Amino acid sequence: MEEYQTGDEVAFVVDEVNSIIKESVEGAIGGSTYQHSRVNQWTNSIVEQCLGQLSKLDKPFKYIVTCIIMQKNGAGLQTASSCFWDNATDGNLTNSVADVMKTYNFALFSCLKM
Amino acid sequence: MSDLAKEKAARLLRKRASLSSLGSHDVKAKDIAGKTKDSISTVSYMDEPGHHEDLSRPVVQMENTYELGPVKRFPVQTVNEILKDVLNSYLQEEKYEAELCRQMTKTISEVVKARVKELMIPRYKITVVISIGRLSDQDVCVASRFLWDMANDTFSSHTFKNRSLFAVGVVYAVYFE
Repeated sequence: MEEYQTGDEVAFVVDEVNSIIKESVEGAIGGSTYQHSRVNQWTNSIVEQCLGQLSKLDKPFKYIVTCIIMQKNGAGLQTASSCFWDNATDGNLTNSVADVMKTYNFALFSCLKM
Repeated sequence: MSDLAKEKAARLLRKRASLSSLGSHDVKAKDIAGKTKDSISTVSYMDEPGHHEDLSRPVVQMENTYELGPVKRFPVQTVNEILKDVLNSYLQEEKYEAELCRQMTKTISEVVKARVKELMIPRYKITVVISIGRLSDQDVCVASRFLWDMANDTFSSHTFKNRSLFAVGVVYAVYFE
């Protein structure tokens, strides 16, 4: 198969994606406190915006974006992931944000498409 | 790319990933310290992959396969059964405890990945995400969305609940084109 892309273009740039996640979380939730009725809307807009920005990067990746929002009342939450993929091309990134009233937990995976 | 270069790139990626998540954690920790005493601790890190590919393996130039779609589709139902089975057998009798659940999420995700790999579905990459949380009158929302090929890529999820904890397991299958 011909390779039209060089290594640099197809790399998963962690910093770039990290800032995308931060921006979309700030944009959607900002300083608001936990409201049950708005959680659906928050997760929706965060994930939507992340994907939108990621697709604008124009990279040959497929993306999976997961977002967990939990009300903070002292309860714990653990998340783990394991993947079966090509270590050289595929990458993942997790970004957790904790706040007085709520916890956001992000796992962002992307898989290279060839 | 040669194997050595791949290895190097992967290591770089891992290093960058752990660095950046550490960085964000530090900043947040400072923010929170002023506001409240019982701040949440967020830990995010990456383990080394369980087993490495043999480094001395020569690079094989593959011929074109002329395959436009998957020969065998991802069996969502079977994978769902696996998730259900593993979550039930590991968590049925457990009570929520932070350290135990931390180990549990890792163990369960590894087990599920291994079980799905055993199905031997060619050209599918697998991602398993397991979340365990304590049940204590709180609200939680787990959502995910994808940018992928609707026709071939798929996922399977299962939610488990007992008296003291809940667990959400999701298996994503992405077709390697």
